[in-house]
Amino acid sequence: MNHLIKAEFRRLSATRVGTGLLLAAVLFGGGLMGAMALVGPENFDPPMPGLDTEAGLRAVLGMLGYTAFVPAAVGALAVSSEYRHRTAAVTFLFAPRRWQVLVAKLATYGVTGLVYGLVLAGTAAAALFTVAAARGIPLGLPSGLVLALLARIGLAMVVYLLIGVGVGALLRNQVVAVGVVIGYLYLGEPLLMMIPGVNALYPVLPGGATAALTDFTYLADAMSQEVGSTAVRLLSPAAGALLLTGYALAASLIAIILPMRRDIT
Amino acid sequence: MASVTVTDDRQAIEVSRLTKRYGTVTAVRELTFTVEPGVVTGFLGPNGAGKTTTMRMLTGLVSPSSGTATIGGRPYARLPKPSRTVGAVFDADAFHPGHTARDHLRVYAAMGGCPDTRVTELLDLLGLTEAADRRTRGFSTGMRQRLNLATALLGDPRVLLLDEPSNGLDPEGMLWLRGFLRRLAGEGRTVLISSHVLSEVQQLVDDVVVIRRGELVAAGPWSRLAGPPAVLVRSPDADRLAAALRDSRPDGDAPQVEAAGHGGLRVRGLDAPGVADLAAAHQLRVHELVTEKSSLEQLFLDLTSDKAATS
Repeated sequence: MNHLIKAEFRRLSATRVGTGLLLAAVLFGGGLMGAMALVGPENFDPPMPGLDTEAGLRAVLGMLGYTAFVPAAVGALAVSSEYRHRTAAVTFLFAPRRWQVLVAKLATYGVTGLVYGLVLAGTAAAALFTVAAARGIPLGLPSGLVLALLARIGLAMVVYLLIGVGVGALLRNQVVAVGVVIGYLYLGEPLLMMIPGVNALYPVLPGGATAALTDFTYLADAMSQEVGSTAVRLLSPAAGALLLTGYALAASLIAIILPMRRDIT
Repeated sequence: MASVTVTDDRQAIEVSRLTKRYGTVTAVRELTFTVEPGVVTGFLGPNGAGKTTTMRMLTGLVSPSSGTATIGGRPYARLPKPSRTVGAVFDADAFHPGHTARDHLRVYAAMGGCPDTRVTELLDLLGLTEAADRRTRGFSTGMRQRLNLATALLGDPRVLLLDEPSNGLDPEGMLWLRGFLRRLAGEGRTVLISSHVLSEVQQLVDDVVVIRRGELVAAGPWSRLAGPPAVLVRSPDADRLAAALRDSRPDGDAPQVEAAGHGGLRVRGLDAPGVADLAAAHQLRVHELVTEKSSLEQLFLDLTSDKAATS
């Protein structure tokens, strides 16, 4: 098993995907958070409460959750690129017990997700504290709590990477898998929130569960008001975490079981 | 490898009543044959005959509908160290385009539990050292083929399976491949290569397995299946030429001669230059001199044209 994990790390680090992902973590963590803090939510269009309020701070933190399509897309490459570049046959020749390959991929991408999440949360924290101090704004929540909320978002990134791996194993076609992952997370879920009735589902979707981690209701509330539907009630942070873990497990099971019997032609 | 015992060393491939159905289409039907170690075996048949499907079933990539395929007595998935027993090349182009040759080999060396020194060794053996750190997207067909072989040889396997290895190779590359595979077979390894072009492999293979529409047509040593080559000669002096041929070797090893009609003779046991020289020595006229196709070539030609006629 160890040599399979070693192989997957080599496979990932030899391409530009690994460095690209790290760059994205800094860009979306430090970059996006820095920019939002610098402009200030009170100057957003429409304006939101400032960083010195709890709602404003939670909103800015919650926004980070919407960058989850990036790690998910990278996860979708894990299996689908093996089919695209026809290396799946070689891989399964070297490891005919296919489930072991998939477990190795999940382990590799899980660790990668963890690194991504840590960099994302770490650079975001650094940017937020630095910019807030520079602008002389007292944050609306104690620093310890801000760090904890960021850490939760960071951990959620592991889940999204694994969801991506599962979708890639399910669909196998690389373009379709990446398209579905980005399309759903970036456009699909926010659109669902706007549809009356369907938006009741939002709390149990991955996006809703991630929002629950930081109790980030501002955007959902604003949308409910906009379309005149009843406000969406998110799960508790613990329930959200549990649900996300469930999604990660389900995606992992899909990734492990599906390739077992399929013919590689 | 000290742990390999002598009995494990020579691994035959045994295919028994192997069948693969895709819906109503039967790609491979009740196929039975054996591939011996120490020789190069050609797995021949027209395109779409089921060669690739059979080879993929041998390696567990495709699961058979029924029947068995074993290597050294075990199905591929039950081999304790598959990449150390079998090396296989299926696709001409099975690399991540962003990986270098070295990256690619390092991934699979890790997967097969081979030391990294093996990567350097194989890059060297296959003449890829200079290209080792270039991304594979810029590789030529010949380089891709050699990287494929390097990947298959990482575990120093006793069995080598190559699906259409000559596809896209220039004559020089083909010559190199021929020498390389000969050497591997000479080391007692089992080598099975598939091809839809008989002429490409006829100088390379010792044994052949011929299939058509998923069914076995012929199997055995090339020399037996091909039969002795025959020369067709036409001469207005046919009778005297026949006599001269029969008397050419009084020790009893004379060429066989049979009448082929219209002043023609079919000669076995003497090649075309030999027949021409003999005729010249006896001052006999020769109007036509043709080396006929071997029976295997003829069989193969029939298979291919048969396929063209029915598809």
